[in-house]
Amino acid sequence: MTRETQPFPMALLMEEKIYTITELTRLIKRNIEDNPDFTSIWVKGEISNITYHSSGHIYFTLKDEGAIISSAFFRNVNKALSFRLEEGMSIIAFGSISVFEKRGSYQLIVAQVRLEGIGELQKRIEQLKKKLLAEGIFDPRHKKKIPFLPKRIGIVTSPTGAAVRDIIKVAMRRYPNIEIVLAPAKVQGDDAAVSIAMGIAELNRPEWGVDVIICGRGGGSFEDLMPFNEEIVVRAFYASRTPIISAVGHQIDHPLSDDAADYAAPTPSAAAEIAVPIKKDLHDEIDYYILRAYNSFMSRIRELQTKLKGITSQRSFRSPGEIVYVRELLLSDVEGRILSVMKDIVNERRNRLSMIPDLTRTMFVYLRDKNFRFNRALNALETLSPLGVMKRGYAIAVDRFRAVVKSVALLEEGDAIELLLADGSAGCTVNSIHREAPFGKKIDTKEQSEL
Amino acid sequence: MDDLEKIAKKLEDGSLGLEDAITEFEKGIKLAKFCHQKLEEAERKIEILQKGGDGDVRKRDVKVKPDTGEIDDDEDLQGSLL
Repeated sequence: MTRETQPFPMALLMEEKIYTITELTRLIKRNIEDNPDFTSIWVKGEISNITYHSSGHIYFTLKDEGAIISSAFFRNVNKALSFRLEEGMSIIAFGSISVFEKRGSYQLIVAQVRLEGIGELQKRIEQLKKKLLAEGIFDPRHKKKIPFLPKRIGIVTSPTGAAVRDIIKVAMRRYPNIEIVLAPAKVQGDDAAVSIAMGIAELNRPEWGVDVIICGRGGGSFEDLMPFNEEIVVRAFYASRTPIISAVGHQIDHPLSDDAADYAAPTPSAAAEIAVPIKKDLHDEIDYYILRAYNSFMSRIRELQTKLKGITSQRSFRSPGEIVYVRELLLSDVEGRILSVMKDIVNERRNRLSMIPDLTRTMFVYLRDKNFRFNRALNALETLSPLGVMKRGYAIAVDRFRAVVKSVALLEEGDAIELLLADGSAGCTVNSIHREAPFGKKIDTKEQSEL
Repeated sequence: MDDLEKIAKKLEDGSLGLEDAITEFEKGIKLAKFCHQKLEEAERKIEILQKGGDGDVRKRDVKVKPDTGEIDDDEDLQGSLL
């Protein structure tokens, strides 16, 4: 049979879909990349054909006896690696399978690499975690609050590592007069765990006066961080009576010390930021509150002055002396207290060499001006006040409605009246009425109405 | 600081009588003074604990380069309390 004689199977053409290569590859890609079997998995194998590309990416092949898989370890994730990958190395890689359409190939995109043999350690950590969890070591109810304003911070780490430098640098920048006590500790090697636990216990002694402890180290490989997964260290974190921050640099897996600490910081610098506030911000905040209080308070005083002006400008008082007297007493008291409070502020601001230097001056000038006007108002009140007159021996008579009695015409014999004197009052009864001015001049009705 | 903020709010509220306003303001000034002083209490020092020959732990003042945070000390410092 030749092609010419064999008719093309038209039925097949109608029923079956013909893929383009692109469509097919996309389908494969979707099927693989969406499949959880190929996503976030651990793969064990030996490195071969490793290439360190100038872009910073690392390409290699992972192989075992039966198969190989191309792998790519991109710069943004491989820079965290603490050791160098080499030909022939046995590793466990963590990552996901991805399909490269242009080349029709699939590869492992690596996110993290561990040296083989870590599996055992990993298992031990998991077991320890379970045990400590059952004991309640990680219970959030045990967690203490990190103090708002520590005076002395304690650090447990190597005195020569990057961690201690970062913590000191950040702490001193935020709070220049902070006090720091360092308990030196080995953070790697066989006796690291014991030395860290010792440091934590030491800083818990009251004689060092530590308000908060930062314990940790800079980032490193899984093995480098192992001391912070040791039981003795985790228990020391838990047992610390002083609030303690775990400060172990890490990317993916956090150490168990993070779970037992009162606070877990991702790096030593971050721990210092949690432990130490920015002093300038706190000073500013205090000033801000007091400025707000001051402004409201002064507007209250201005209000009062306006009222005072209203009273003094009337030139006569509807209410008799008693009320004026009380107000006067209050005002002089107010004046004294305002002055003493203001003096406090001014002194306070001077001592502090304030960051808002103008405020002190403005406040001072304002205060002097206000005080001057206040005194003047008080003097005016004093002169006008019936109290001033009363002090010289005069009395004011008021009737039972406490209206000032200005004329005998308003009185009858037997009326009860009250005499207001400078230092008190006396109840009186009118015994007799004399329609004659006490100092000789007769007051007739006409004159009286003109008064 | 919280108390201070409360005082500022109370005064801004304007519902206080003059007498109370003065009392609150005085309280605020005292609090602010106290807070400012509290912030200056710490004495800026870096100490490192070292173990003596008798096994007792003592503190020792050290200098630090503020820009790098590096401990700057002439003597050899112990790396741990072991």
